[in-house]
Amino acid sequence: MARAAAVPVKNRLKVLRAERDWSQADLAQQLGVSRQTINAIETEKYDPSLPLALKMGKLFALCVEKIFMLDDAQ
Amino acid sequence: MDRKAQRDVTGALQGTQQAIGGAVEAIEQTKRVYGTTLLIRGVLWMATYAASRALLEVVGDQWLRIAISLAPTPVLAWFLWAWVNGLSRMDELERRIELEALTFAFPVSIVFFATMGLLDVAITLDPNDFSLRNVWLMMPLLYYIGLWRAQRRYR
Repeated sequence: MARAAAVPVKNRLKVLRAERDWSQADLAQQLGVSRQTINAIETEKYDPSLPLALKMGKLFALCVEKIFMLDDAQ
Repeated sequence: MDRKAQRDVTGALQGTQQAIGGAVEAIEQTKRVYGTTLLIRGVLWMATYAASRALLEVVGDQWLRIAISLAPTPVLAWFLWAWVNGLSRMDELERRIELEALTFAFPVSIVFFATMGLLDVAITLDPNDFSLRNVWLMMPLLYYIGLWRAQRRYR
């Protein structure tokens, strides 16, 4: 059976963070992760785990689909 | 300075800046995850290892030599235990980076040692350079190369 290709995911994390005037370090501290993790998610080099995505949703008071979405262009 | 040279210089400066930034971040991560525990245990192990190597140059009694050579082992295990325990304090991306580092280092180590082993059979490598006392250093070196590669991927 052929392995499924990785699904590219986009996110609005940088925009949501900027709206609240938070630095990456501020957001990282609130989520209990490193600044490196926030940067990697924002630059779409890393997709967060479900628990972390749900924590983000709770922090921004948004459902996960409003923060992360499939990259339909690819 | 022509444009190509200017671009090269700019690129080199950016690369250096990124490398310094990466090193600073790595040091901050180490401090956050390990505090001073890893550093203290690492220094203690290096001191016992160096003392052991120095004593083995002068001590003749075989049983004493065996005891001296084994003395750094519990200190090394204590140091590595701190490193392993630190994994539970890392976040998900940091843990993935550690896994990717080990996924690089372990197979490359196998290739290296298997190749050295056969070369030693073929041409008898100089034991002053290629005995176990020295080649084990390839393992932490390969781990740090793997760590650098993995961190770069997510920067």
